[in-house]
Amino acid sequence: MLQISNLHAEVDGKQILKGLDLAVNAGEVHAIMGPNGAGKSTLAYVLAGRPGYEVTDGTLNFLNFDLAELAPHERAANGLFLGFQYPVEIPGVSNLQFLREALNAQRRGRGEEPLSGAEFLKLARAQAASLGLDPEMLKRPVNVGFSGGEKKRAEMVQMGIIDPKLAILDETDSGLDIDALKAVGAGINTIMRRPDKAVLLITHYQRLLDYVQPDFVHVLAGGRIVRSGGAELAHELEREGYGAIAA
Amino acid sequence: MTVALALPSARDEAWRWSDLSALPAFADAEPRGGVVDVHDLWIGCGGPRLLFVDGRFEPALSDIRPLAIGPVAAASAHPLGSLVTGDGWTLELAIDHAPVGTIEILHVGTGGSSHLPARIALGEGAQASIVETYAGEGWANRLTRIDLAPHARLMRAIRLVQHSGFVSTRDEAEIATGASLVTTILGAGGADSRIDAQLESAGPGAFVEFGGALLARGQQRHEAAVAVRHAAPGGSSRQLWRAVADDRATVSLAARVEVARDAQQTDGEQSLRGLLLKRAATVNLKPELEIFADDVKCAHGATVGELDRQALFYLESRGLLPAQARALLTRAFVADALDRIGEERAREVFADAAAQWLDASPLPTGEGGPRRETVGG
Repeated sequence: MLQISNLHAEVDGKQILKGLDLAVNAGEVHAIMGPNGAGKSTLAYVLAGRPGYEVTDGTLNFLNFDLAELAPHERAANGLFLGFQYPVEIPGVSNLQFLREALNAQRRGRGEEPLSGAEFLKLARAQAASLGLDPEMLKRPVNVGFSGGEKKRAEMVQMGIIDPKLAILDETDSGLDIDALKAVGAGINTIMRRPDKAVLLITHYQRLLDYVQPDFVHVLAGGRIVRSGGAELAHELEREGYGAIAA
Repeated sequence: MTVALALPSARDEAWRWSDLSALPAFADAEPRGGVVDVHDLWIGCGGPRLLFVDGRFEPALSDIRPLAIGPVAAASAHPLGSLVTGDGWTLELAIDHAPVGTIEILHVGTGGSSHLPARIALGEGAQASIVETYAGEGWANRLTRIDLAPHARLMRAIRLVQHSGFVSTRDEAEIATGASLVTTILGAGGADSRIDAQLESAGPGAFVEFGGALLARGQQRHEAAVAVRHAAPGGSSRQLWRAVADDRATVSLAARVEVARDAQQTDGEQSLRGLLLKRAATVNLKPELEIFADDVKCAHGATVGELDRQALFYLESRGLLPAQARALLTRAFVADALDRIGEERAREVFADAAAQWLDASPLPTGEGGPRRETVGG
């Protein structure tokens, strides 16, 4: 589904990713762990196409598309979803309005019929309820006045509505209490644990991995994957720290 | 109609951002006249409706009920307001008036210039709601004199959708004890404008609100110069403006609050915000406070910026096209200025007019687009 080869990327002229290789197949959950400053968020933003994050070498292939050729909205329409570490607050734009426009823009991009207001509302309410987010909150402006946990739940509601093929979840566990962590973990499993989907979980800690069992764990340090393994690698990291493993 | 024009110059501080250079040509020109199709311009609020074509009342297409057409008791020393003479419309209501419904006034121009006075006088406790629309072309120049007796309430909403030309309005108002005047303006056409008002909060506890959203593109210029004077204690005023400038357009807002020595416990609020959709566009903001009383609360804020790049990327990462993301954020930017319109049907029509204006904005592709500017380096 996703093949990253020899990825070099820079932000504001500073080289952050230095020859990263990674392959993610359909049906797999990959966790990317690493110390602060290793380039985890940079990888997420490069994959989603954030302006200012520039690929200087290597290739990014997603479902046989060259990602570098696609604008952020085209990546989304082709099934790529980025869960933000810090979801952006947008005063004056309601979640419902935003998500309906987003979903229908994607559907049009794929040549599908847009959903009616009633169809969309039903879908949005069901997704919110399954993630323990009060559906009334969807009427409120995007992320405005949401607690850290509510923002992350709202990100998962967005993911559920948009129903992507590949979810890149950037520190989705940060700022979550234990209940929210369980809800978000269950949401990821329900929405994304499918044979035709894949997840790239970017996380600093092992704790989300108690709820979302990864098939592969990679250690990102110094802009490259320095070690890969199974779920047990996360426990090893938790025990011994990044210093020992990444060295 | 030809008038002798003595226009203020840009050397005058109150007119420093104005460009009135097109007005003499309008003053010399004759309207094209002919048939005008106004069907789509009525909002349909169900109340009385007045149609003026090139400043002339059209009785056949109007439903005048409590309003009157004829000489108007209004005179102004204002440079543009003083040009307004002749017949116009008058609304006088006492508290025991029969229910009127929202009054719609439609001004359609076919070129040239028109000068139309108006007077609104609400007796003690009387209420009225008026929605005005400016459409067509040419120069529409208006003077409106407003007198609100104690506890009277007037809601006004003004929609500028002329496709070209110039609209100048001058409001002069006196608001008595406990009375309330709320005026909301939307500039969403292709004409230039000068919105000018002098509003006096004359009695204790009066409430004055004057603001709106002005959207400009191309070489267009919108300008608002509004002064609220608090002469009596315990009054409140609110000036909330949102300016959007695209291309090489200019929007200028001068909002002034004066608090006289006796006007203790005045509560004044100014919120002036500008949004630049292109780097070559201009927004001028001038919030002014002149306070002689010592126990007042006057908050003011003035900011100009571009669309939030993080917000744009967030929306695009969810699949919105760049143009959709920009339109959504711009709509959100102006929304709170239009939320003040009390009449629901008018509020919807105004919001639609703003959305249509934004949807007509072409997708930025050049170096001017904020998204491109962050790439590379």
